[in-house]
Amino acid sequence: MFSLLGGVFLGWSLGANDAANVFGSAVSSRMLRFWTAAILASGFVLFGAILEGRGGIETYRGLTYMTLRLAVMSSVAAAIAVTIMTLLRLPVSTSQAAVGAILGIGLLNRQLNLAVLGKVVTCWFGTPVGGVVIAVLMYKVLAALYNRLQMNLFQSDMGFRVCLIGAGSYGAYALGANNVANVTAVFVGAGMLTVFSALLIGGLSIGLGIMTFSRRVMETVGRRLVRLDPFSALVVVLAEAVTVHFYTFLGVPVSTSQAVVGAVLGVGIVKGINTISRRTLVNILLGWFLTPVVACFLALAIDFAAHLRYVPSP
Amino acid sequence: MLRLLFRKEQQVEELISQYLDNLRLAHENFLNAMNLYFDKGLCEDLDFLIEQTHKVESKADDIRNEIETIMYAKALIPESRGDILGLLEAIDQVPSLFERVLYMIQTQRLLTPDYLVLDIKELIRISIECCDLLIKQVEALFKKSQDIRSLESTIDSNESHCDHIERRIITKVFDSDLDPFQKLQLKEMVLQIGEISDQADRVSRRVYIISVKRRV
Repeated sequence: MFSLLGGVFLGWSLGANDAANVFGSAVSSRMLRFWTAAILASGFVLFGAILEGRGGIETYRGLTYMTLRLAVMSSVAAAIAVTIMTLLRLPVSTSQAAVGAILGIGLLNRQLNLAVLGKVVTCWFGTPVGGVVIAVLMYKVLAALYNRLQMNLFQSDMGFRVCLIGAGSYGAYALGANNVANVTAVFVGAGMLTVFSALLIGGLSIGLGIMTFSRRVMETVGRRLVRLDPFSALVVVLAEAVTVHFYTFLGVPVSTSQAVVGAVLGVGIVKGINTISRRTLVNILLGWFLTPVVACFLALAIDFAAHLRYVPSP
Repeated sequence: MLRLLFRKEQQVEELISQYLDNLRLAHENFLNAMNLYFDKGLCEDLDFLIEQTHKVESKADDIRNEIETIMYAKALIPESRGDILGLLEAIDQVPSLFERVLYMIQTQRLLTPDYLVLDIKELIRISIECCDLLIKQVEALFKKSQDIRSLESTIDSNESHCDHIERRIITKVFDSDLDPFQKLQLKEMVLQIGEISDQADRVSRRVYIISVKRRV
């Protein structure tokens, strides 16, 4: 069980950071109590992981050959990469960290499935783009529907709250379904866990991160979304959830944060305003490039350190 | 089901409805007090109606405080909280103006010459009409989001009409051979009455903006 710790830590930090993308706006605006959001998010993450997490695990298994030792190295490298990027305050994607670490292991094995890697990297590019496209379409369709309903202030307010809770729960479901592979897929590849136990442990560790450490992140990240009007915030959460769920069908774990950035940009395009500063975009690009590279080098460095032998001087 | 989930919102809705009923009562009291003043001058009945207007104004403050307390307990989304609290604060200026005009008459023992009474009554009638339309507009915002634009433009044209009457009365006051001190007192009273329709117009504009903000 000790070998699972790297994966559990990765799941914990994923839960702590990424729950903000789905429930941040509702919690930071006090529309929903933190504990209600945390319980809903953890439940739906677990639900999503168990029902639809299998595809991502199969994709990661296809990337390279794994042994238990390599799986532990890979998960520890990804976990350290996520921690370093978080400490540097750069936007971090757990999916990219996990793939970067597996890539490092694949280089060591000299066995890397380039077709699968190509599919994964293409989806990385496609995540923010998907967020933009879905947000633009969704904004137009939902705005037409909303304007037609002619609701009074109380009705529209209650409608927004119900929809934000629904969208957040769906987002949590998509997060669990899509990202659980980042946490425990390497242990399935190494034969240590069955697919079901990997999904269960992965889902539970993400839930643990949400329950124990996501409050502050929800409040700070959420505030950025709440600066948008309630309708735009709802579109962003829904577009992010749909984008991430779409990649779940393709079996590729992607970054929920990048989907959110895409969705916020999409809303900005429809409204004709700048929703994201140039500096934020540069940081995102930097994090996007650095996360897999750092994780890959860390995996190589851990392997190098693991092979060092003490040779007493004669 | 939704009603059970959104109890605080339902409470706010009921309190706003109570607040608007109370505002109607304030209009009625003010109108009765002013009619009594023009018919009988300063008398005990007028003092009673002024006291009643003060009570209604205090009740409006109490209801507003209650709404604020529920709002701070996280009812509604933040944007709506800000809009509703700002709106109620602005509406609350209207009964305060009623009270101010009546206290001015009571404490300064104000005497109005007969040749101004008809004009001032007309000014009050149109100002109260503005307030009634404002209540309808606020109800439209909270009950059915229709007619808000047309009510806003009616209040706006009524307010312009009030401005004309106000200028006409002040001109008459200064053209007369009243005591200069009385002229200033009357001018002040007319300006305060004129402020009622100005405030109704400002609030009405605010209601319109709140409704427009909610369109996407």
